[in-house]
Amino acid sequence: MSYRLGIDIGGTFTDATLVDEATGEVRIAKVSSTPRDPSGGFLSAAERILAEAGVAGDQLRYLAHATTVATNAIIEGNVARTGFVTTDGFRDLLEIQRQVRSALYDVHFEKPRPLVPRQLCFGVRERVGPDGSVLRELDEEHAREIADALGAEGVQAVAVCLLHAYVNPAHEQRVGEILAAELPGVEISLSSSVAPEFREYLRASTTVINASIQPVVARYLQGIEERLSSSGVEADLLVMQSAGGVYTAEAAKRRPVYMVESGPAAGVIAAAELGRALGRLDVISFDMGGTTAKVGLVQDGTPTVTKDYQVGSAAHAGVGGFQFSGYPVRTPVVDLVEIGAGGGSIAWIDSGSKLRVGPRSAGADPGPVCYGKGGTEPTITDANLVLGRLSPANFLGGEIALDADGARAAIEERCAAPLGLDVLEAAHGIVEIANAAMGNALHLVSVQRGYDPRGFVLVAFGGAGPAHACALARDSGVETVLVPRSPGTFSATGLLVTDLEHEYTAMVLARLAETSQEVLDAAFAPLEEAGTHDLQREGTAPEDISFVRQLDLRYVGQSFELTVPSGEPEEAARRFHAEHDRAYGFSAPEEPVELVSVRVRAVGRIAKPALPVLAEGPLPDPKERRPVHFAEVGGFVDAAVFDRYTLPAGVRFEGPAIVEEYDSTIVVHPGFAADSDVHGNLFLRRT
Amino acid sequence: MSLDPVTFEVIRNALVAATDEMVLSLRRSAYSTNIKTRADFSCAFFDAELRSIAQGFAQPVHLGSMVQQVPNAVRGYGPENIGPGDAIITNEPFPGGVHLNDVMLVSPVHWEGELVGYVANLAHHVDVGGGAPASIGAFREVFQEGVIIPPVKIVEAGTLVQDVWKLVLAQIRSKHETGGDLRAQVAANATGVRRVGAVIGRHGLGTVRQAIDELVVYTERRTLAELERLPHGTYEAEGYVDFDGYSDERVRLHARVELRPDGVRFDVTDSEPQRRAPVNSTYAQTYSACAYALKCLIDPDLPVNDGFYRVLQVDTRPGTIADCSWPAPVVGGWETQTRLVEVIFRSLSDALPGGVPAGTKGMMCHAGFGAVDPELGYWCFLETFGGGYGGRIASDGPDAVQAHGQNTENAPVEETERGYPVLVERLELVEDSEGAGRFRGGLGLRKDYLFPRGPVTFTVLADRDREGPWGLFGGLAGRPAEYVHVADGKEHRLGSKSTLEVQAGGVVSYRTCGGGGYGPPHERDPELVLRDVIEGKVSAERARSVYGVAIDVADRRVDEEETRRLRA
Repeated sequence: MSYRLGIDIGGTFTDATLVDEATGEVRIAKVSSTPRDPSGGFLSAAERILAEAGVAGDQLRYLAHATTVATNAIIEGNVARTGFVTTDGFRDLLEIQRQVRSALYDVHFEKPRPLVPRQLCFGVRERVGPDGSVLRELDEEHAREIADALGAEGVQAVAVCLLHAYVNPAHEQRVGEILAAELPGVEISLSSSVAPEFREYLRASTTVINASIQPVVARYLQGIEERLSSSGVEADLLVMQSAGGVYTAEAAKRRPVYMVESGPAAGVIAAAELGRALGRLDVISFDMGGTTAKVGLVQDGTPTVTKDYQVGSAAHAGVGGFQFSGYPVRTPVVDLVEIGAGGGSIAWIDSGSKLRVGPRSAGADPGPVCYGKGGTEPTITDANLVLGRLSPANFLGGEIALDADGARAAIEERCAAPLGLDVLEAAHGIVEIANAAMGNALHLVSVQRGYDPRGFVLVAFGGAGPAHACALARDSGVETVLVPRSPGTFSATGLLVTDLEHEYTAMVLARLAETSQEVLDAAFAPLEEAGTHDLQREGTAPEDISFVRQLDLRYVGQSFELTVPSGEPEEAARRFHAEHDRAYGFSAPEEPVELVSVRVRAVGRIAKPALPVLAEGPLPDPKERRPVHFAEVGGFVDAAVFDRYTLPAGVRFEGPAIVEEYDSTIVVHPGFAADSDVHGNLFLRRT
Repeated sequence: MSLDPVTFEVIRNALVAATDEMVLSLRRSAYSTNIKTRADFSCAFFDAELRSIAQGFAQPVHLGSMVQQVPNAVRGYGPENIGPGDAIITNEPFPGGVHLNDVMLVSPVHWEGELVGYVANLAHHVDVGGGAPASIGAFREVFQEGVIIPPVKIVEAGTLVQDVWKLVLAQIRSKHETGGDLRAQVAANATGVRRVGAVIGRHGLGTVRQAIDELVVYTERRTLAELERLPHGTYEAEGYVDFDGYSDERVRLHARVELRPDGVRFDVTDSEPQRRAPVNSTYAQTYSACAYALKCLIDPDLPVNDGFYRVLQVDTRPGTIADCSWPAPVVGGWETQTRLVEVIFRSLSDALPGGVPAGTKGMMCHAGFGAVDPELGYWCFLETFGGGYGGRIASDGPDAVQAHGQNTENAPVEETERGYPVLVERLELVEDSEGAGRFRGGLGLRKDYLFPRGPVTFTVLADRDREGPWGLFGGLAGRPAEYVHVADGKEHRLGSKSTLEVQAGGVVSYRTCGGGGYGPPHERDPELVLRDVIEGKVSAERARSVYGVAIDVADRRVDEEETRRLRA
C-alpha cells in the first residue's frame, strides 16, 4: 500500500489530501491555518489525515506542499536582514523603483518600502555594456570592502544585481564568490541565476525577494523535513512552484522566489490535470475562496503563465490597469486574475447610494455575519444563505452552524433599507454584483487574451466557487461547468498530479531570421544539460526526463515578448505572427522579429494516481427539499437538495437543485442540468 | 423607472473594463519606450452626446484634456462624416487640444447602424517632427514644434488611409517606432469598439443608454455629496514658472478657487499674457489641471465621467499662459499645467491643511535627444524624471516620484542602453535635497546620460531650477533642480529650456528638485531624522543645522541632551 499526500496552506484553512495510489481513493482533511508558525498547521493536517486513514509515515511515497509562507514573509515584513550590491552609481534602484505612484488621486500615497534599507545598498566599481563587453573592470578590492561593510551590518542574505549581468554574468559571479568567501553562512542570490533577463529594477526586485525570504523559507522547510523524518516519512518533500510543477525542498531553499504563488498555482494545475484526464484540454479554472476569486486559463493542457506579477499588491473590486503597490517578480507565475470577491467579501452602500461588493473582506475572523463570531457587515456568504442557497445546518459538514436571521438582519439594515429594496432583492443584488465582477475577470483571461470562452470548460472549486459557477457560465457563454469532488480542497489535489519541473532561460537577442535551427540548438543545449543534471540529482530516471523548448519573441522595437513553442525560425515566426494577432488583434508579418530569450522547461515525469471509479446507480432521493431563491424564475422555488456522497455515476437531474458536501455547496440554477460521471465529477450544462 | 442596482453596476464595470482592455492592447503592442514602458497614454469611452463615460488606466493629465479634445475633434470633423470602422487622428492644439506630441485617435462605436459613442486613445509620441529630436525645445511658435494634424481620417471603413499615413510619417524622424505606435493605437480603438459592442449586445442598447444616463447622474450626486464636505469659500494663490527659456522674468500664474456645495469654479484669468516661449498652456491643459486638483480633494473611489466634470467650471482669459491662442508654442504646456496644480493646492492649504501636500516636483521635467545613426537611422528618445513629493500632514513626501497629473514610469537603464547609443552613468537619489519639515519632502533624483558616440542633439524642457518647491506651515523649500552639461571634465549649468549639441564623451546630468517640507523642521521626530541619517538621505551636519538634531553617527543614536539644547 502506498499513498500520496498533498498539503495546501491557505489564509484560513490548511487542506490535506491523501490519495491511495492503487485505487485513486481520496481522503481529505481541513484544519485551521496557524499563521504565526505555518508548519504547525502543516503537521497537524498531516498527522490528522494519516491517523484517520490509518496510514504510517513510511507508506507515503510522495509528499507535495503549497504554501503562502514566502508571500506572507514579504507582506508582513518578516524578511531577513538583506544586503544589495549593484553597479556603482545605481545603489538607489530599490528606492527609486519605477518612480510612479500606486494611487493617482490620493495625495497621501506611499511607495512600497524597499525590502533592503538604503544603508545596506552598495554600488561596486565595475561596468558591463549592453553587448556584454566590459567597460570597466571589476574592482575586487572594492567588492571586499563592501563585503566587510555588509558583514559589519550583520546581514543574513545578499542580493547581487549588476547592470547587464543577464548578458555577461562574469562580474556578478565574481562578486558572488568574493561575498561568499568573506561572509560565510550568508546566502547569496545572483540576478543572473535567479532571473536572467533585462530591465534592471525588475531583475533586482526579483533577486532581492529571493534573497530576503531565503532564510525564512529554508528554516520553515527544514523544520518540516525534520519533523516528518522523525515521524518515519521517507518521501522527499516537494514544493509547488508559482507556474506549476514541483521542485524539491532543496531547490526551493535556493530559489524560493519561484514559489511565491504556490497555492493558487496548485488550483490551476489541479484543474488542468483533471481536464486532461477527462480529455478536455481547454479549461478555465475558477477558484473562489473566503477573500478572493481567482480565474485562470488552461489552453491545450497548459496553464497560461505570466511574468508581470507583483508580490504584496492590493486586491481590487474589479479588473484594473497597472498597479505599483507591490514588489515585482519576474519569475513565471500562473496567469490569474484575482479580485476581491470571496465568500467573506463585504457588501456596502457608497456615497452615491449604490450597492457595492468588496474588495474589503470579513476574512475568517470575524467572518460573515452568519458565522456568529461578531461580524456585523453583510457578505456574499450571508447573501447566499438568505437566498436559501446555503444550508444553515450543513456548512463544513455542520461544523459551523450558520445564523440565517443574523445574516438577514444585517442585509436588511445595511443594504436593503438604505436602497429601499426588500431583503431578497438586496441579497440577490450582492450575489449578482459579485458574479459580474468575476465575469469581468473571466473575460480578461479569455476574450481579452484572444480566447473564446465558449469552447472552454469552467472548472469550479474553492469553498464558494460551485455556488456561483452556473451564473458565471450563464453570463460568459461557457457551455460546460465541471465541479470536481471535494471542491473546497481541490487545490491540494493539484499537488498530487504534477510533475517535477525546472525552468531555464538564456537571453539571446538576435533577429530571428538571422538564426537557424543549429543556432537555436546550441542555445538550448546548456539549458537542457542543466535540466538533466538537476532532475537526475532529484532522483528522476533518464527516461522520465523531457524538455519543452520555447522562444520569447517580439517585433523589433517592442518591449513585451510573446512566448511560442520553438521550431525552425520560419515556423516560429509564423507562430509568433499568429499569436500576436490573437493576443492584440493585429500582426505585422513584414516586420522583423526579434528573438529575446530561449526558454526550456525540464520536466521529470511522475506517475499519476488513478482517478477513483464509482459504480452506476439510480438517482437517490434528495436528502431534503427547501425553498431557494432564483430571480430568473421570480423568487423562491422548491429545490431538491442532494447529498453529494450518495450520488452514483451516470445520474442526471435538473435545476433548481442544491448539492451539498463537506467542504462546498453546488447551486444548480433553473435551466441547468447536472450529470455525474464515473469519477464522481458533476457536469452542469444548460438544458 | 430606474435600472436595478445589479444591471447598473454590471454595465458600469463592463464599460471601464472595455477601456482597460484598450490600455492592455496599446501598451503591449507599442514600440516606443515612452508608450510601451513608460505608459505615457490614456484610453476613454464617450457616448454619442460626447459625454465622457468611462476611462481606463491613464495619465491623469490626459483625462481632463481628452474631455475637451474628443468633442472638439468630433465636432471639428463633423459627426455625420464619421462612419463605422473609421478612425479620426488629430494632435491640433487649437481649439481644444494640447501639445503636438500627444496624438489622439477617435473611433465611433455603432450598433445596428446607430451611433452609440466613441472610443479614444491619446499617446505621447517620441517624435512628431519640428525643430529638434523628440519635438521638444524652446520654440517661438507652434509651427516649429512638429506636424500639425487637424482631425482627419487615418482609418476609413477598417482600412488604413495610406495617403494620410504617409503624409504624417514623412514629417517624423523616428518612423519605425512611430509607425508601430500608430498601429498599436489603431488596434486599441478596434479593441474598444468590439468590447463596447459586446456590452451592448449583451444588455441591449436601450438598457446601456439608461445605465449611462444613470451613471452620470449617480456620479454627479456623489460628487456633490463630496463637495458638501469641503470648506466652502473662495481661496487664491499665485505662483511662478521659473524660466521661459529666454527672459529672466519669471512667469506668473494665478488661481482663484471657489468651493461651493453645488460646484467648483476655478478662475485663472489673472494669469499673465502668453509668451513666445514654451510656457503656454492650452485651455484643455488648464482644464485638466483643475479637474485633477478637484479629483484629489474628493473620494478617490469616485468614477470619472461627465457627472464629475459638470460640477467643474474653469474660467480663463484667451491669450494668457493659461489659455494660449494660435500661434503660441505649446510644447511646454504640461510644465505650466503641472505648476498650476501646485498653485491650486497652495491656495487651499489653509482651508484644507490635511488635504494637500507641500510643494512637489511640480514639473514634467523632460529630456529629449536623438541623432542620425548609421544603423538605427534617425533615432529619438524621450523621458521624464521623478522628483521629491511634498511633505503631508502626517507623513513624509515620497522620494523620487512623479507628481500630480503625471505618472509615467522611468525608462529602464538596460532597455535604454540596448535600444539607443547612450549609457546611463548614474541613477540615484540626491542626498540632502529634501525640504526640511516636521514631515520632510522627498528627495530628488539624479540621472546622467553619457553619449559615447556623439554628436547628439539634446533638449532640456523642464523648470524648478531657480526656486525649489515651497514648504508649508513652517516647512522649508526643497532644493532646486540642476541641469548640467559635462564636457571636457567641466560642468556647465544648462537653462531649464535649452537645446544643445553633445559631442562624443559628453554627459548631460539631471538633478531634480526635492519636495517641500511640512511643518517646522525642529518639530521632526528625532528618530525619523536618525533614520534619514543612517540611510544617508540626510547628512549628520544637516540634521544638526536644519533639524536641530544631534546624531552620534558611530553609535547610530540621537544625542538627546545635545538635541534638547539645539532645539531650545
